[in-house]
Amino acid sequence: MYQNVPISERVKYVRNLYRTTRPKIDISRYRLITEFYQDNPQLVGILKRSKNLRNLFEKMPTPVRDHEIIVGYPGVEYRCSPLFPENSFAWFLNEIDTLGTRSVDQYDLDEEDKEYIKQTGQFWVKNCMSAAIDAIYPDEYYDDILGNGVLNYRDHENCQNPIGHYCGNFWTVVDRGLGSVLEEARAKKAELLEKGIQGHDGRRFEFYRAVEIVTEGIIIYTKRYAAECLRQAETCEDPKRKAELLSMADSLNWIMENPCRNYYEALQACYLYQMGMILDAQLHGISYGRLDQYVGKYAEKDIAEGRLTREEAQELTDMFILKIAECNKVWSERATRTGPGYTSGQLITLGGVDKDGNDASNVVTYMVLQSSARLKLHNPPLALRIHDNTPEELWEAGLETTKQVGGVPCFEYDNVAIESFLRRGIPLEDARNYCLIGCVEPCICGSEFSNSGGDGNNSYTILPNALWCAINNGCNPFTFPGGPEPKSTGPKTGYLYEMKSMDEVLAAYKTQIDFFTKWQVSMVSCYEYVYGIMTPLPLLSATMEGCMEQGLDVMWGGAKYNGAGNSSIGHGNVADSLNIIDQVCFRDKIATTRELYDALMANWEGYEDLHQYIMGRCKHFGNNDPEADKYLKFVADTYSEGITRGWSSRNCSWTAGCWPVTLNIALGATVCATPDGRKAGQPMSDGISPVQSMDKSGPFATINSILKFDQSNYANGTLCNMKFHPTALQGEGGNKKLRAVMETYFKNGGMELQLNVVSAETLRKAQEKPEEYQDLVVRVAGFSAYFVEVYKEAQDDLIRRTELAI
Amino acid sequence: MGTGNVQEPVGRLYDIQGFSVQDGPGIRTTAFLKGCPLRCPWCHSPESQLYKKQLSWMSMRCLGVDACKSRCINACTKGAIELGQTRKNIVDDTDIQMIHVKRDICDDCGDCAEKCYAEALYICGKDYTASELTERLMQDKNFYDTSGGGVTISGGEPLMQIDFVEQVLKNLKDNGIHTALDTTGYAKWEVLERTTPYTDLYLYDLKHMDSKKHEAVVKVPNEPILENVQKLAANGNKLQIRIPVIPLFNHDEDNIRKTAEFCTKLGDAVTMIQLLPYHNLGVMKYLRISDEPVAEATPPSDEYMEKLKDIMSGYGLHVTIH
Repeated sequence: MYQNVPISERVKYVRNLYRTTRPKIDISRYRLITEFYQDNPQLVGILKRSKNLRNLFEKMPTPVRDHEIIVGYPGVEYRCSPLFPENSFAWFLNEIDTLGTRSVDQYDLDEEDKEYIKQTGQFWVKNCMSAAIDAIYPDEYYDDILGNGVLNYRDHENCQNPIGHYCGNFWTVVDRGLGSVLEEARAKKAELLEKGIQGHDGRRFEFYRAVEIVTEGIIIYTKRYAAECLRQAETCEDPKRKAELLSMADSLNWIMENPCRNYYEALQACYLYQMGMILDAQLHGISYGRLDQYVGKYAEKDIAEGRLTREEAQELTDMFILKIAECNKVWSERATRTGPGYTSGQLITLGGVDKDGNDASNVVTYMVLQSSARLKLHNPPLALRIHDNTPEELWEAGLETTKQVGGVPCFEYDNVAIESFLRRGIPLEDARNYCLIGCVEPCICGSEFSNSGGDGNNSYTILPNALWCAINNGCNPFTFPGGPEPKSTGPKTGYLYEMKSMDEVLAAYKTQIDFFTKWQVSMVSCYEYVYGIMTPLPLLSATMEGCMEQGLDVMWGGAKYNGAGNSSIGHGNVADSLNIIDQVCFRDKIATTRELYDALMANWEGYEDLHQYIMGRCKHFGNNDPEADKYLKFVADTYSEGITRGWSSRNCSWTAGCWPVTLNIALGATVCATPDGRKAGQPMSDGISPVQSMDKSGPFATINSILKFDQSNYANGTLCNMKFHPTALQGEGGNKKLRAVMETYFKNGGMELQLNVVSAETLRKAQEKPEEYQDLVVRVAGFSAYFVEVYKEAQDDLIRRTELAI
Repeated sequence: MGTGNVQEPVGRLYDIQGFSVQDGPGIRTTAFLKGCPLRCPWCHSPESQLYKKQLSWMSMRCLGVDACKSRCINACTKGAIELGQTRKNIVDDTDIQMIHVKRDICDDCGDCAEKCYAEALYICGKDYTASELTERLMQDKNFYDTSGGGVTISGGEPLMQIDFVEQVLKNLKDNGIHTALDTTGYAKWEVLERTTPYTDLYLYDLKHMDSKKHEAVVKVPNEPILENVQKLAANGNKLQIRIPVIPLFNHDEDNIRKTAEFCTKLGDAVTMIQLLPYHNLGVMKYLRISDEPVAEATPPSDEYMEKLKDIMSGYGLHVTIH
């Protein structure tokens, strides 16, 4: 039986602090970078960035709090958010007075600090990356393409969350220490000076110089924490804490420059290196990669040699995980609605295989799962890599964790993910070392710069709007109240009511997708040019495999492997829509194309009969129906063929993804009625799952349907949510059965799966809005049933039982 | 498979459910056949009792006559559908005017269901040829393989459609699928015997050890049931015995002990005893196919179920609840 191990008093204290502290905005970073940028207009590019970071390393506060073992934070107070004005700042100035009262993720800001920002903030409005990117987009986009709804680039503020979604090479940090990189940078510099800086080598020289500046800087930063520990130790009256502070100081003086000597040092070094990358650029989707792989051997050695008990190792792990959970970054209100809940997306990948294909799990794999489960943390997100020889006990630990914390970890299947790398030409040994970035995007850990659609202001490709362009002569009609003025933006492919066959509809859709995916790539190629100039990442490049060798920053294509990814939204809606156009207008001839078109334009008002027919009588994807499912394959393939034609500035082809997170809801609000019966403004389908409540034939049929497109063509990741009621998994072999469902999904081509073992709260919502919860399977008594088909009193009973069970 | 064979047997189902986790080992797909000779008052699938296709009406799905413009009422040539109760629309708090089926007039022709796009009205009962059903069940093969599951044929009483059941079981075995037959055991041995070559596990109901009490409540005596299960055991077939624990009928310790004694005599054939506590979750289903509500009882407590489990375990049996 899987058991939660005890939680130490100190961990309980921090967990409580985490859940009860209302975050503040901290302006330490803002103040330093504002002064630096204003004082140094002569510095440009990577030199400016590296000297700025060095300045931060030397002057940022170094808080060591009484309860802490793992230290480091980009601000003074617990859980505070730093500011990154160089990325985008107009939104902050606009919202500065409502941050503490807005409806999502509130932040407090001291009056004095607010005054300072108001006095100085205007500088950033024209000196930030967002302004540069707004300026560099082609005029043709603003004139002709803006307002299409397929790509959601706007006419201003296009860069609220730039440069996220990558992962450093932590092996270098723990096994070698950055002292070795520093020496290498100095040697490379000397070499170039020796032979004379020739041709384009000026850029390489500046790169090595930048690496020298920032690696020296982060070593200084680490030693400043050591000094703070020593300072506190001097006046500390608790002998136990005093000894701890002295020991921490000893380690902090050693690590970062040198190889780590134990588990504590490995965790601390990784944490501060991550802090360094955050201080440099951003706090959004910077992932930890395969944590258990680069710190595991330190933990195992410490435990085996008696320097750490398993309990002590667990406490260290808990404190490390809670430190990551602490991290916060304030977003604009609009952006927060897409990812509410104070999250920073620092995903940790666990498990999987080693370079030879053997199971790679170790003691840290289990300890991290224990941390998330016992502390009920949705943050940091976890990914558990599953392969054909994943040990029994790891399956159990993963499933028990997800039962306690819905959707944590997400499960990624090695075979399908690794195959996606092999198709990109990456050798097997390296492909086996992948991790997930941000949400679910596969990336080779420590040797790939993946720009996995989340380097910040990459647009999603909103497929239902491409369908609208296809059936409305290239114009998204925005029929709903408050919608923008319709404008012809896409190729003129004609109107639905002019189309004589399904082939014409499909051809029109493909034309739109080809057109908009080409624009998608064009926009990113333009702004990556700006990124390369304004925001190289020398601290990340210092460890990323390939960069030091080539003398190129990750932004300039220096990594051994490069990726460029995009995510689509609304596969299910478009697949159903195409099928319904086919069935209603061409196969069964229930309505003419004119009638269906008019119904859509009217948001189904006055066409209730047709709407009910479509909802009740038409085939929908998700029920293992060949007619309906064939269009899913068409939609998936059309988009992936379009986007993978793109070639990135870092010399790699683009990859397709489908992971809308919650944007299917937020962006769904801007999509007109679609032929699948969806009304204007309703959410789009979730990930690669069928349209909500259209999968009426049970989980087997749903899974069979989803598996009908080739997910290894989605190298940028897929996302599949499944909901289970806890009682469906109770009893003898409950986990075994759940595992069997997952294994069936994986072994037949599924890449990623996240499970929701739902709560009473969800069940209450299901009672209120049964139409949205049609697919919720509950174990009622001796049988399982759809919750919505159980009568009210029994539902109440289930809700009560659930509250007892959780 | 006998595709195109004119003599291929046809069977009638009222449901097919994937992800069944309580009807035998692993994850299973269960095919529910229509028609049953018993009339258990606690039956939680009243639509399983009659073989004939029946008009069903699920109130929750009804959009109301205003939304659908009374398509069902207009479709019915017998005048069997009238306005019925209202329910609240949670979204905008308006009243939804639902319908009522006059059961004494309705002949289950299905014209109304044809027009009910919301599928509030639907015909319960669908015919499949043996090969059609086999093909449908084979779609879930991947799940059986990874979970050690298979197919369960349930009812109703599947043995009432023996030609069809025999052929489906045979087809499944030809495809290497684990098969379970969920039966009341109320049939001639010659009928039951035809399933034995193709059935890996029998889910076999024992309701009461006293034949008179058995007959008084479920309308048939228990002798054929007890004889058949003994013959299955003697024949070397595997049994999972299911005992619905029904208050005021068979829940008393005495009956449970007698059942346990009987089961021990069946020997190694019995792999497991399932105690199924009575629940009242089926009572609303009666209103889908008739106007007459069914009597309700209070489900036995968890403690009482544990007590019965302990009693039966005392006989050396492997017992689970649910």
